[in-house]
Amino acid sequence: MSAALDLITRVRGVRGAMLVSADDGLVVEEQLMEGIKGPAVAALASSLAGRLRRAMQAGGLGAGVFWHLQAEQGALLVVPAPGEGGIIVVAVAEPDVNIGLVRLELLRAAEAVG
Amino acid sequence: MSTRAVETWTLQPLTDFVKESSVRLVLVLTPAGQVLAQSGFSRAVDVMSSAALAAAIVASTDELARQLKQPPFAALNHQGLKQAIFLSTLSTERGTLAVLAVYDLDVSSIGLVQLFFEQLAADLKAATPRGTVPKQVLAAHFERDLTDSLNTLFGR
Amino acid sequence: MSLVNFTTREITCKIVYYGPGRSGKTTNLHYIYGRVPETRRGRMVSLATQTDRTLFFDFLPIDLGQISGFTTRFQLYTVPGQVYYNATRRLVLQGSDGVVFVGDSQARQLDENIESLQNLQSNLLEHGVDVRGVPLVMQYNKQDLPRELILTPAELDDALNFRGVPSFAADALHGQGVFETLKSISELVLKKLAAGATA
Repeated sequence: MSAALDLITRVRGVRGAMLVSADDGLVVEEQLMEGIKGPAVAALASSLAGRLRRAMQAGGLGAGVFWHLQAEQGALLVVPAPGEGGIIVVAVAEPDVNIGLVRLELLRAAEAVG
Repeated sequence: MSTRAVETWTLQPLTDFVKESSVRLVLVLTPAGQVLAQSGFSRAVDVMSSAALAAAIVASTDELARQLKQPPFAALNHQGLKQAIFLSTLSTERGTLAVLAVYDLDVSSIGLVQLFFEQLAADLKAATPRGTVPKQVLAAHFERDLTDSLNTLFGR
Repeated sequence: MSLVNFTTREITCKIVYYGPGRSGKTTNLHYIYGRVPETRRGRMVSLATQTDRTLFFDFLPIDLGQISGFTTRFQLYTVPGQVYYNATRRLVLQGSDGVVFVGDSQARQLDENIESLQNLQSNLLEHGVDVRGVPLVMQYNKQDLPRELILTPAELDDALNFRGVPSFAADALHGQGVFETLKSISELVLKKLAAGATA
């Protein structure tokens, strides 16, 4: 599982990556730089993922595959892993990170743990 | 959702906790089972039953920890099919308090509850009033009220 | 410890029914539960073994209504009487405002009564409480049994009631003495609260 996270944290501008149990909001595996509150990001991101999943279902859009929240000082990127495991892969990145590359690595990591 | 506090200083931290963690029911209680504040319950007497049971769990797990020569357990989480309960203690100037939270699994999570419980613990600690509790005289004729009340209760 | 709130004018007190195994502590609560209107009581919670012996405690919250302008509620607890449940007995006793000692009037149970009373004293001491400072009422239960099997209330007072606290003959199964006992302990607890408030 940590190999899956290596793929993401290797991308320049990524400050941390986590595998989070979507149902519990608990960290399963993490590689984070100092200053990132892993448990808090995990709990809130999984809560958000749940709400987004319901919003997408309500809108008849099917299951979410990737979401990207841009903030002033960075970005939060999430990909739900396929399958019944209920894992979401989360990346915390700098504002000028290459989003396309991070997305690719998140999808690869999600595939690997799914 | 109704949030009520016997000790008013607990109200704001509890209201924030309920809002942030999306829990369904919460009790803040003393280790002896007395309720300081609650959210989501409709009847005071039901609150007391839950508090008695929560206090019993805290007391018995503390005792188990003592017998195992371990520091007290930090928290307990029981997950059911649709709901879960979270029980933990925190310390304030008024001594140790316990918090029981019941949450729906499709609305909240243990991660969220744990996260905002830490905030609740810090907020309650900061809000605890310093100094002694103000006291006031209980009216001298309470015995008559008590007799009337018990007579009514027992249908006499 | 009672919880008194002068802002919301609420009083909540914890009363523990103590005594040896099978003396009738749970029966007291059952009787009260049966007589108090549903609107004024909560559910009775019994943590019992499969054979209905109290394992941890029985619990019954009752709402006494307004007393002296205070919404007054009592939490009634029983403890498990059997000797080997002392750890849980001690836990239930924590923070109690008053104790009802339910003794078994049968002559052959006298030693058990004495032992339980001593146990009450030592468990209170473990909580840093002197039994002499705790509101206490004695109830001599099973007074309905044949006379040759039981001791009279006066004999039980001699054997158990060193402090000269209020004592009541009872037949908890049929309710005799249950109400009087509850009334007496309620008075003692609230009197102590009133004295504490004026101090």
